[in-house]
Amino acid sequence: MRRDWPDILGGLALAAIGAAAAGWALVHYDAGSLRQMGPGAFPLVLGAMLAVIGLVVALPALGRAGDAPAVEPWAAVAVLASILVFGLGLRPLGLVVASFAGVVVATLPAPRRGWVWRICLAVVVTALTVLIFRAGLQMSLPLWPRGV
Amino acid sequence: MGTWEGLLTGLSFALQPGVLVYCVLGVVLGTFVGVLPGIGAMAAISLLLPITYYISAEAALIMLAGVYYGAQYGGAVASILMRLPGTPQSAVTALDGYPMARSGRAGPALFAAMASSFAGSVIGIVVLVLMAGWLSRVAVAFGAADYAAMMVLGLVAASTIGSARPAKGFAMIVLGMLLGCIGTDVNSGVMRYTFGQTELLDGVNLVALAMGLFGVAEVIGNVRDPERQSVAERIGLRQMTPTRDDLRRMAFPTLRGGALGSFFGTLPGTGSTLSSFLSYAMERRVARRPERFGEGAIEGVSGPEAANNSAAITAFVPTLTLGIPGDPIMALMLGALVIHGVQPGPMMLDARPEMFWGLVASFGIGNLLLLILNLPLIGIWVALLRIPFRWLYPAILIFICLGVYSVRGLTYDIVAVAAIGLGGYLLALARFSPALLLLGFVLGPLIETNLRRALLISRGDPMVFLERPISAAFVAAIAGLLVLSAVQAVRRRRATTIPPR
Repeated sequence: MRRDWPDILGGLALAAIGAAAAGWALVHYDAGSLRQMGPGAFPLVLGAMLAVIGLVVALPALGRAGDAPAVEPWAAVAVLASILVFGLGLRPLGLVVASFAGVVVATLPAPRRGWVWRICLAVVVTALTVLIFRAGLQMSLPLWPRGV
Repeated sequence: MGTWEGLLTGLSFALQPGVLVYCVLGVVLGTFVGVLPGIGAMAAISLLLPITYYISAEAALIMLAGVYYGAQYGGAVASILMRLPGTPQSAVTALDGYPMARSGRAGPALFAAMASSFAGSVIGIVVLVLMAGWLSRVAVAFGAADYAAMMVLGLVAASTIGSARPAKGFAMIVLGMLLGCIGTDVNSGVMRYTFGQTELLDGVNLVALAMGLFGVAEVIGNVRDPERQSVAERIGLRQMTPTRDDLRRMAFPTLRGGALGSFFGTLPGTGSTLSSFLSYAMERRVARRPERFGEGAIEGVSGPEAANNSAAITAFVPTLTLGIPGDPIMALMLGALVIHGVQPGPMMLDARPEMFWGLVASFGIGNLLLLILNLPLIGIWVALLRIPFRWLYPAILIFICLGVYSVRGLTYDIVAVAAIGLGGYLLALARFSPALLLLGFVLGPLIETNLRRALLISRGDPMVFLERPISAAFVAAIAGLLVLSAVQAVRRRRATTIPPR
């Protein structure tokens, strides 16, 4: 039997986050009293609630059958890498290079082979980006790599 | 300001060319994203949030609202032609719209969706105008305890009503509220969960959160989307003309759907998705031949479409008059207003008449535009359905990055979007609702402030929540909802447990 892993793992992860948040609030922030709630009271209660609800989600799922979700690790890695390449490259490399690289990385997991369409798409999106954000909205962004 | 006077003020405001442009932009963009499966209204609105910094608060609200109801029209097109609901509300429309399209009646189905949506929004506007003035007078009597109780009611309603797993909804709301705690505590100045990062002093950036959860996570989930095939190759005005029988069948479902939607839209936490499901259920119940439903009954398209559009409009009632967003999209709108320094509440009708009445007028103008534009433009939307997602999503990612960067000019925020996007994707895999997380995130700090204030006033006596009649009514409703959902959970477990042989 396949277990209901989404609920088990998701519930346990949330319970852990809740417990950690409540513990941190208990140690570091003043909970105050009912009359004068301190900064720690609300997060403490929320963390404890999340810990309990996480277990409520996870424990019944232990004995339940479930279907595994379709995970797309390759798509996730490429999309996140594309954002990081663009974000971290924006200031040192400039808008043109960062957009081009970001688009090419993003297209890697797409369900179609070949490089021609990727390059064409990257050129078009880069042009649009420069037109909309630099020329249109007049955001102050470097266009080209520093020193060029 | 009287109602007629207000409406006239609003009309003259919304018809200014500078404002009208944003209304048109909003509805066209909304239809666009509604048609394209893979990006919902949430993603579109979060994508547009940064742009709203450059325009006035009134124009921003009108544009974002246009995206919201425009997406409902677009969602209907994708649901009917391809059984691919771009928005959850339009999932119901696919139930009978798609069978109609399969049997060669895509045109009348699209006509029914558009005409009923328009009629539903007119009903919604009327209710909004009648309710808002009354509610903002009532709202003046609201104290801190009442606000806190009402917001908790909204959250409980949003996570329990119509949900198969209320516990998972609660978990998201609490997680969102915890995220809302990050940053400087307003009362004491203590920095909570910032871990020494100055970028977090003002809390988690709403734009980064919304874009990560909805933009990035949705893109990841759709990247490997296969190429799609539409059932209707060519649809023009002529194909859309309904028969007399269609019109007769549409009339009452539209009126009933509009009335139902405008009622449920005003309640916090329920909103347009529930309304369209309820309307479908109601039409099937009152139908003379309920067996036609699911096989192409035009009533099953008209009722839900009228309901979700009227609910989308009346959902603005609690948001604008109480400052309490009923659904996650309203939470984003509220966020946009707060960014502009506008705090919606009972005073808004008097303090910002252009904003309130301008918005009301723009609903009318925008919906009329949608009706007029969409009849001839339907061919374009149908063609749009054939654009492969791989051409779109790289651009969406770059726009997300630049959008969030434009808010504060910090690379930190782009990296945060990637991290939040990963979290959002994991949540989607485990089938947790990111929309409820966002609702908790926006409402959490408001609840904390009002809770602390209420307890301070009552000198620490929690009975204050039961002594005030308004608050007591909300607390009773919360208790009722919790009991109801617990009973349902037990029943469902009994029903699904197969007895051993």
